Amino acid sequence: MAQTSVASIGKARVQRTAKKRGILSIERPVIWLLPAVVSLFLFSIFPLFFNLYRSFFRFDPSTKVFLPIGTRNWTELIQDPRVHNSLWVTLQYTTIALVIELVLGMVIALLFDQEPLGLPVLTSVIILPMVVPPAVTGLIFQLLEHSEFGVLSWVLYGLGLLQPSEPLLGGTGRHALMGVLFADIWQWTPFMILIFSAGLKALPPEPLEAALVDGASAWQRFWFVIVPLLRPVIAIAILVRLIDLYRVFDYIYLMTAGGPGRATEVISYYTYTQAFGFTKWGYASALGMFILILINLIAIVGTKVLKVEW
Amino acid sequence: MAWKWQAKKRNRIILTVVCFLITFFFFFPILWWFLCSLKPYGDIFHLPPIFIFKPTLTWYQVVLGGVFYQSTELAQTGAITGEGGGLYYSIPYLRDSTIIATVSTALVIAIASLAAYGLSRFNFRRRENLVFWILSTRMMPPIVAALPFYLMYLNIQNMFRSNPNMPTFLRNFQMIDTYHGIIILHTIMNLPLAILMLKSFFDDVPRELDEATLVDGGNRLHAFWIVLHYIRPGLAATAILSFIFSWNEFLLTLVLTKGGVRTMPVAASTFITAYGVEWGYLAALGSAAMVPVFIFILLVQQHLVRGLTLGAVKG
Repeated sequence: MAQTSVASIGKARVQRTAKKRGILSIERPVIWLLPAVVSLFLFSIFPLFFNLYRSFFRFDPSTKVFLPIGTRNWTELIQDPRVHNSLWVTLQYTTIALVIELVLGMVIALLFDQEPLGLPVLTSVIILPMVVPPAVTGLIFQLLEHSEFGVLSWVLYGLGLLQPSEPLLGGTGRHALMGVLFADIWQWTPFMILIFSAGLKALPPEPLEAALVDGASAWQRFWFVIVPLLRPVIAIAILVRLIDLYRVFDYIYLMTAGGPGRATEVISYYTYTQAFGFTKWGYASALGMFILILINLIAIVGTKVLKVEW
Repeated sequence: MAWKWQAKKRNRIILTVVCFLITFFFFFPILWWFLCSLKPYGDIFHLPPIFIFKPTLTWYQVVLGGVFYQSTELAQTGAITGEGGGLYYSIPYLRDSTIIATVSTALVIAIASLAAYGLSRFNFRRRENLVFWILSTRMMPPIVAALPFYLMYLNIQNMFRSNPNMPTFLRNFQMIDTYHGIIILHTIMNLPLAILMLKSFFDDVPRELDEATLVDGGNRLHAFWIVLHYIRPGLAATAILSFIFSWNEFLLTLVLTKGGVRTMPVAASTFITAYGVEWGYLAALGSAAMVPVFIFILLVQQHLVRGLTLGAVKG
């Protein structure tokens, strides 16, 4: 009783001091949030309007000025076969990586959840790939997948899954996307394992015990008990990975440079070449704007479909 | 949550073996890379792969010790093959990476802890919208931010350069290829993660603590300071994650530097020369750059899930 009264007096006092001071008082949220909001404004709203504005211009490299050209960049973008190709490559990359990482991550997390001996050691080791700089990951896998002395290539040749005439990287590029995907899957499956392990650990034991008593098979327990209970965690893992996969750049830049041909030219890499390779700033801005629109669509639809709650 | 079949001892041993094998697969590329950094030139390319060899520190001597690369080249291969111009000495790259990551992390923590406190402790209209907006800035593809920032930095430089009203010492003011140029971007890039992660740590501390401080006559800053002490582990975890993301960042640094400032990932990408990839040097640099990150991540392992999901899943 005494405690409540002290707290209520305190609350009244807090409200009074807040009222007394202006909008920029430290008793109000504005001043606390201002530095962060201004910085983030610079990173999100500014690029948005800048890209939109520049997308109606053409950069002339000889005079170094931007000339207004109306909507020409946008009509070009819609018809550009390389945009179509890069969207298709990005879609393949994102889908394949997401599905494999999700399934592998779930299987390994379930195995880890059975408490093998030495689990702390295993968890510590398996998170290491995640913090390898992606640029270094690209190089590691370039070494592993080298057509002549790469260990991974050598194993795949030995298993007959790959012909030396058609290597992972290089060649005609039939397997190039798979080659890059190896790096992504290696680096980011641990992300799924880690999140699912945390989710599994936090599950209430009662529903599973009930399912055991009712004689549910392992598959039934997984599909009808674990998956529904884990749904919020799975949804967040999918959304975070989806957004990161969509903007993949580092592995492509280091391992294939979009090639051979255009086999691994994802949308981020195509935009990069247009901007920093050919100084087509106007067109690149239109592409950037296009990427932003798409990622917003993905995020909005993804949040709705997966019912993500942050 | 143990299932029934696990009760049998034999099953548990099989499970353990399987799990160790899986983990080894994930560890193998790192191990292989590390071994490459210790292998003599010929053994790097040897198939079937060799695990037992006479280790050499030559690559490290060039990359970290500043030994002239041509003498190493000659001793290892019998010919001078590398044409990189001796740019393999990597201490400057690691130094640039360290400066950028450290300063941007300090800025991130300063700005983000204020914002996270504000979001966690004050009730105001549209707070949820603000949180969601912060979350959405985390989705910004780096290439989309790189374009306008590059042009903006160019504009700022030109503004200073062509302006006779500027004092002379400011006429050479640069944004591209500078520490501050990259630090600004890395700070902004890491803010959403840090704000949301710290907010989830602040939310774990009951508001009564602040109110008690306020009742005792302290102001908000005192309360903030006290709560900050309670979340020290969370603060450390956030700082480490933001350091790692800055340390590993590639695209923004690649387009906003031209060799004057060069971070480790960008430097590594230049080791791929027209004459081939200098794997020995590369492996030595990569291994040296990974060691601090590995130590850091193992220190904050238990907060990793929360960080990677931006506070949504508490590990």
